[in-house]
Amino acid sequence: MRVHVNLNLCQGHARCEDICPEVFATDAVEGKCVIVQAAVPDDLIEKTRLAVRNCPEGALRLASDKWARDQDTAQ
Amino acid sequence: MTLQFQPPKPTHVPADRIVDFDFFHVPAGITDPAEIWHDLVRRGAPRIFYTPRNGGHWVFLDYADIVEGYRNHEIFSTYQAPVPPIEPFPVMQPQGMDPPDHNVFRRLLAPMFTPLAVRGMVEELERRARTLIGGFAAKGECDFIHDFAARYPTGTFLYLFGLSEDRLDEFLLLANTFFRSTDPAARAQNVIDIYAVLEGLFREKEKNPGNDIASAIVAAQGDQGRQHPWQDILNCGFLLFVAGLDTVTNTMAYIWRYLAITPAARQHFRDRLDDPDAFLRAIEELMRINAVSNLFRRVTHDCQFRGVQLRRNDRVILPNSVANRDPAVFANPDVIDLDRKVNTHVTFGVGPHRCVGSHLAKREVMVSLAEWLRRIPEFELMPDEGETRAFGGSVMGFESLKLRWDV
Repeated sequence: MRVHVNLNLCQGHARCEDICPEVFATDAVEGKCVIVQAAVPDDLIEKTRLAVRNCPEGALRLASDKWARDQDTAQ
Repeated sequence: MTLQFQPPKPTHVPADRIVDFDFFHVPAGITDPAEIWHDLVRRGAPRIFYTPRNGGHWVFLDYADIVEGYRNHEIFSTYQAPVPPIEPFPVMQPQGMDPPDHNVFRRLLAPMFTPLAVRGMVEELERRARTLIGGFAAKGECDFIHDFAARYPTGTFLYLFGLSEDRLDEFLLLANTFFRSTDPAARAQNVIDIYAVLEGLFREKEKNPGNDIASAIVAAQGDQGRQHPWQDILNCGFLLFVAGLDTVTNTMAYIWRYLAITPAARQHFRDRLDDPDAFLRAIEELMRINAVSNLFRRVTHDCQFRGVQLRRNDRVILPNSVANRDPAVFANPDVIDLDRKVNTHVTFGVGPHRCVGSHLAKREVMVSLAEWLRRIPEFELMPDEGETRAFGGSVMGFESLKLRWDV
């Protein structure tokens, strides 16, 4: 599974970083989401999913490797 | 309300969408000002309704509509949006501007309030909380608002702006008038007073810059390497002043009031002083339940929204406390679940104007509560005080909150 952030939607709430800092961070300039590891290890999938569901902007997706990679490329 | 704020007759509003609702008015006997909003929902008010009070304005009650009100700046502008209208009203930078103009000052402020930047403030925040609490802990009682919740964020503001602590009372009075007064003359004079203070402050920081936010704003370079327009600098200071003080004060008042009457919740937090994830999760839930802000927007052009005719310059109020209890979004929305796992509350707004200080505000609350519980693990409302007066408006809260504990 891969995690993807839509930076047009992200507004820097940092709820993802609060919940799962192993996968999410925020940058020092805009305070927006930075994906630390896009390919989510199995043991972090539940925690990542919780972070995704808590994004107030709906900016995060956890999906199949192919979908997320296509999104990254499109962005 | 005074005659000055009487609106033109809203011919575009159908009778079945009109509700007589004054968001400043908290009837006697109502101890929680948010209840006037929740009562609208219980009474089955239209999910989008219009009230002629306070100059006339719409109210959205659905989470989805409130979120759209925040996100869709092409319809819902923050520019000149206050309710009731204040003319002229300063354009707060960047909150009072729409994208893309909004981005100039947003970009300037954002790095000062990122989670990373706020982590660098934690020791100072802890020291300040300990000092304030240490001032009254041995007395066994305090007025939580006067002695802590008002002083703490205002003191933090003075620290971040590089100002002397002895100006605390002056700033408390200015903020209180800004949020509480419904007298047009007092409101107009208050804005003038705040700008006079900001003018002096930024001029001083221009001459003698320090390692503080005010100095950074004055020194920042905009177009062609020049200082930002002076009026914009003042407007940015104005925003930070009105956005960061009263909101935190009243959020804390709500939370401490709840903890004072809920022993199990005190226990919950005490048991998690060394578990930051669980502690934060519980704070997020109290942030959801105790969203003190009701935000304003102004309609930019005549249009239909969800089948409702809106007219240019109509005002809209977005009540976060109502959004945060929408059953379409939250399971058991009226239940306070300190271990709630999925919690997309909009207490800090969403969209381009998401509260830039949210990480600081949250940290102020977390630090204060942790330091408080270490020093004062058990406390309760002062008996026989009766409930103190609550107030509505754009930021809801209480005039005082007397607490006591055994020493």
